[in-house]
Amino acid sequence: MPVTLLDRLPLPNLKVYSAGSVLLLSVAMYYAVNVTSDPNWKANTTLQKQETASGIVEGEAAKMVQPAVTAVIAEPPMTDTKNFSDQFLEVMTFMMQEPLCMWTLINMAYCSLALFGFFIQKVVFGRLRVSEAQRVKDKFWNYLFYKFIFVFGVLNVQYMDEVLLWCSWFTLVGFLHLLGQLCKDRFDYLASSPTSARWANTRVLCLLMGILTAASALFMVAIVWGLPAGKDTFAFMAAECLLLGVSALHVLARFTLRAHDADAAGPAAYYTHLVFDAVSLVTETIHVAHMVVYSNVVVSMASLVLLMQLRHLLYAMLARLRRHRLYTALSSHMSRNYPMASAEEVLKHEDNCAICWEPMKEARKLPCSHLFHNSCLCRWVQQDASCPTCRRSLTAGGEARPAEPPLTGPNHLFHFDGSRYVSWLPSFSVEVTRRAGVDLGPGLAAATATAAAARPAPDAAAESTALVEQVQRLFPQYPRALLVTDLAVTRSAHLTIDNILEGRLPPPPPLRPAVAPAPAAPDAGADSPPLSDELDEDDSAENAFSATAAEREAALQRRKAELRAAARARFLRRRPAPAPAPAERSPRS
Amino acid sequence: MMAGSALRRLMAEYKQLTVNPPEGIIAGPVNEENFFEWEALITGPEGTCFEGGIFPAKLVFPPDYPLSPPKMQFICEMFHPNIYADGRVCISILHAPGDDPMGYESSAERWSPVQSVEKILLSVVSMLAEPNDESGANVDAAKMWREDREQFNKIAERLVRKTLGLPPPE
Ligand SMILES: [Zn+2]
Ligand SMILES: [Zn+2]
Repeated sequence: MPVTLLDRLPLPNLKVYSAGSVLLLSVAMYYAVNVTSDPNWKANTTLQKQETASGIVEGEAAKMVQPAVTAVIAEPPMTDTKNFSDQFLEVMTFMMQEPLCMWTLINMAYCSLALFGFFIQKVVFGRLRVSEAQRVKDKFWNYLFYKFIFVFGVLNVQYMDEVLLWCSWFTLVGFLHLLGQLCKDRFDYLASSPTSARWANTRVLCLLMGILTAASALFMVAIVWGLPAGKDTFAFMAAECLLLGVSALHVLARFTLRAHDADAAGPAAYYTHLVFDAVSLVTETIHVAHMVVYSNVVVSMASLVLLMQLRHLLYAMLARLRRHRLYTALSSHMSRNYPMASAEEVLKHEDNCAICWEPMKEARKLPCSHLFHNSCLCRWVQQDASCPTCRRSLTAGGEARPAEPPLTGPNHLFHFDGSRYVSWLPSFSVEVTRRAGVDLGPGLAAATATAAAARPAPDAAAESTALVEQVQRLFPQYPRALLVTDLAVTRSAHLTIDNILEGRLPPPPPLRPAVAPAPAAPDAGADSPPLSDELDEDDSAENAFSATAAEREAALQRRKAELRAAARARFLRRRPAPAPAPAERSPRS
Repeated sequence: MMAGSALRRLMAEYKQLTVNPPEGIIAGPVNEENFFEWEALITGPEGTCFEGGIFPAKLVFPPDYPLSPPKMQFICEMFHPNIYADGRVCISILHAPGDDPMGYESSAERWSPVQSVEKILLSVVSMLAEPNDESGANVDAAKMWREDREQFNKIAERLVRKTLGLPPPE
């Protein structure tokens, strides 16, 4: 359940925030130094402290902080010749006691964490891709929402100290979770990239190791501080660490699988994923169930949210179980009916697998003697029982019938009647439809609708030079000659601007020095043959497939513009009808 | 996992289409942030009423590509018996084996993972040249194609000029 309500919150950017935080901190420091320079400050504040202390009923968390504070306070009064570290300690002590100063300190801590996160992002990931940034944002708000529910709905924390401790705990855990999410997304991206970016992989791997280390450190924290506070607290904290560790390990496992070139849906990879999925799903379910039991409130907003989450988790678990049953049924069916091809056959078959286009080390052979990866074939047969290449039906071959039952059979198994277990659990049935419908974006309709009507011809009085000026003002980088040529054809500034914007006019020289003469070519006359020849040559030179996304995108853009320009030139050459039009329109006629 | 193999296959196809492009066809993801959405340019086939036009279309791939076919939609105005008014292309190669809206296609012409973007686009080019008037994606266009070819050619000419950014003939 993604929580996107808060998505539009106006957050200050990092620079402003950190500058503000540093400013605040220095003001607070200045104040603290001023106060503590008075030798009698301690007497004043401890008095206040004792007055308020009786009012504070300390929770478990408060107990942890209190001894440290009182220990410092109990120190004997200093002489005037304080050294620097003592003074620093004193300033800190004061700041911890003074609420306003303490908030500045906390703010500063968050600010440093944000800066640290920013630094890691810069070093490890570089610029985030849009989907990654979006995923992190979603996860962040989701996490914030559930932890808010947890702290105030489940634990029902009431004392500031406790809230602060839980906040700092969840800040650290959440921070690591977000980094883990980034690692996962980046791994998926790197795995699909055609070039092997060794260095990028190494950085992500290092970060994953860091996350694992931090997760174990947090687990130690849970043992040292959480355990004395009670078994429940410990279980909550430990579950968080476990989830963090499992997700990081899962990404590490994917790295390992890929490094060993494992078949993407082969048994090794499949069972690895199964184990990780199972561990994280079960842990999370137990964690949420524990919260529900602990909160012990029958009807409240928090328990409602938790139950929804629990339901979602159970749903996911059942879906996973069903997938697993399907997988086992299918793989046993395949191994019974379609033998693996011999090594010799695979060698003789020079082509790649026709489904994934990747080379085959081992393959399964269909009765029609077409070869495919086991995993690719598995996934296809789930959808259609025929050979992908020759379309021969696989079910027609006598005893191949069992292919059907695992596809449709187990459906009824997944009706979940929650009330059989706990009275308030809902009932639902799980239908896993594998074909996710991808709808074309709504922008399309709008795009097709624009400019459908033919534009009226421009006013006869309009000077063509004025039109050129008008376009040139908008696109100073385009050579004037090029604009004149195009305007002679379109006779409309709008159409020419459209042509420029939609890439039908070749881009200006600075983008592409190699083609510098090309834009000038139309100037010589629309029927100059060198234009298309030149473009053809360029095409062959630029057909190289670049290594970076940005270069590929630019090259694609360029090739499109060239195709359009060449088509225009060809069209005008064959049907030069509109070319003399401006002459007819001249005042002479 | 699923999307990973789809991405690898799409990347391989993109590479092949870039290094060894078929005549008059360009296709690729406009923004690689979303590799599942491509834009293609198709040149109208020679010797037909669509000759010379550069027709842009959008291809949207499912996460389980190539097990399921992509969807294709022209993003320019089109008038053709096999293209819906909103630009969606109705051609047998784009139909998954399971669904059969027309009820006449043999499964041999349908989508299979051995098909590819290149094959789809080439099929669309031949569809532009020879409409299949059994499929009535655009009934008006189908009728005009059968009964008033001259008018059909005129409309096609206007569309071709429009895709090239040229004003309609007077
Ligand atoms: Zn394969
Ligand atoms: Zn076959």
